[in-house]
Amino acid sequence: MVEERKMRTHTWPDDARCIVAMTVDFDGTANEVGRGLEPVGIHSAGEYSARCGVPRIMRIFEKHKIPATFFIPGFDAEQNPDLIKEIHRRGYEIASHGYLHEGRLLEPDEERELLTKTHQILIDLIGTPPKGWRNPGGNKTALTVKFLHDLGYIYDSSDKDFDFPYLIEIDGKKVEDMIQIPNNTSSLDDAPMYSRGLIPPGDVLELWKAEFDTLYQEDGYFMLTFHPRAGFGSGPPARAKVVDELIRYIKKHDGVYFTTLLDMARWCLEGGHGII
Amino acid sequence: MRESRWPNGAYCAVNITVDFDGESIDIVNAPDKTMGGRYSYGRYAVKIGLTRILNLLREQNVRATFFVPGWDAEQHPEKIREIIADGHEIAAHGYLHEDFSKLGDGERSILEKTHAALTNITGVSPKGWRAPRGLMSSRTHRLLKELGYLYDSSFNNDDLPYLIEIDGAKSGMVELPQFGFLDDGPLYEVYKTPRTVEKLWKEEFDAIYEEGLFFSLKLHPRGDAGSGRAVRIRAIDELLSYIKRHPGIWFATSAEVAEWWLERGKIS
Repeated sequence: MVEERKMRTHTWPDDARCIVAMTVDFDGTANEVGRGLEPVGIHSAGEYSARCGVPRIMRIFEKHKIPATFFIPGFDAEQNPDLIKEIHRRGYEIASHGYLHEGRLLEPDEERELLTKTHQILIDLIGTPPKGWRNPGGNKTALTVKFLHDLGYIYDSSDKDFDFPYLIEIDGKKVEDMIQIPNNTSSLDDAPMYSRGLIPPGDVLELWKAEFDTLYQEDGYFMLTFHPRAGFGSGPPARAKVVDELIRYIKKHDGVYFTTLLDMARWCLEGGHGII
Repeated sequence: MRESRWPNGAYCAVNITVDFDGESIDIVNAPDKTMGGRYSYGRYAVKIGLTRILNLLREQNVRATFFVPGWDAEQHPEKIREIIADGHEIAAHGYLHEDFSKLGDGERSILEKTHAALTNITGVSPKGWRAPRGLMSSRTHRLLKELGYLYDSSFNNDDLPYLIEIDGAKSGMVELPQFGFLDDGPLYEVYKTPRTVEKLWKEEFDAIYEEGLFFSLKLHPRGDAGSGRAVRIRAIDELLSYIKRHPGIWFATSAEVAEWWLERGKIS
């Protein structure tokens, strides 16, 4: 017999059994341009995000009537202003994701400057400040969260160290107004599956369903990270279908609550829900 | 009702392409010209893999486009003539399978050299080009245009062909985008089994067919990162038979797809 798990001490909105967040890292040509590559030929897969991937993914979200969060590099926002506005207009959350999807650790001055730059680009486009950030390519310094906090961010979704959200520490002290919403780029992220694993979409669907089954049983926190690009992303038809099928599967379960990360962060920061 | 983007109301375009990456890949890496041992997988392509692919395409009655490095064509002109005799298209693919993102000013001369080599052997100018390993520069399209090419098939940015713009203006050239999972090279490079590859390709086909898009498969006749081996040929055979069980398929060479897309652009 497996030992029965202890009672949960945290609660979700609507007394949901499991909170579910679909998060889309836009990752257009910023990834390649940021690495000094011309976005042509095989390096043009980022263009797919705007041309095909984002429209297809939004159609899937709309069909299922679920909210979602889009993390956008500042450079990609500059390249695709109308599309970013359209994502916002349709009610999805816009959050930030580096300027050129920086694939390295930045010096403090440069980091503050680039965080501020992307922040302003997104404000100019959607008229409201983004409240969430996710590290591009897993790169984040000891100062990142402090800079984000200064800019008014209320969540970071970068760390992989826990099974549900927790309050962030700045200068060794927990703050009451910023939360870490962990992501998992090892198994709940399309990029490693399709770029390094070269796993058939059908097998990725099975894996994600199995992940959901266990998370639904345990802490009731499920977040998927995927990309609308070609190459390593889920924009192309067969892989977008995996996302579609996964959402359909999740919705068949009792007590699932789909949310943006912003709403999740607000819930967590409200206090009294056992998130500490 | 299903929308048709393809000739005669066809619902989905299927385009089989073969990058004839023979010894050009190995001669560059081999310490001597004999290409022995690990540098002989390209020779496998020439001696066995290519014939296997040609036999399969003949049995399946499918015409394909072969992208050939100029040097490989010069080494084996009889193989090129064999490909043409079966009704397939010959297109360009670098001279020695170069990295076109690093050629700088040398890009034009490599394109010209290959263009001349293929024209010489086949008697007609190639209409299409594909970047070796997908690597090219922001100048490549312009150079291809100057050489009179009709299409490029190197980008990874769309579900459908599109009209290539140069300096914001239509160039009269068409891009036929590729997709990484529809390429045997990377899959066999990481030792996927033919069964997994076949499953993956069928999944991709199903989803592309459902949306009436463009299924463009990239094969290689090599013994390592390619489909030259018998067991891998079987995966393609199964896939083609599977595709044929679906109504409304238009099998077309790359040039035929490009010509159609150009024509379609004029109408709409």
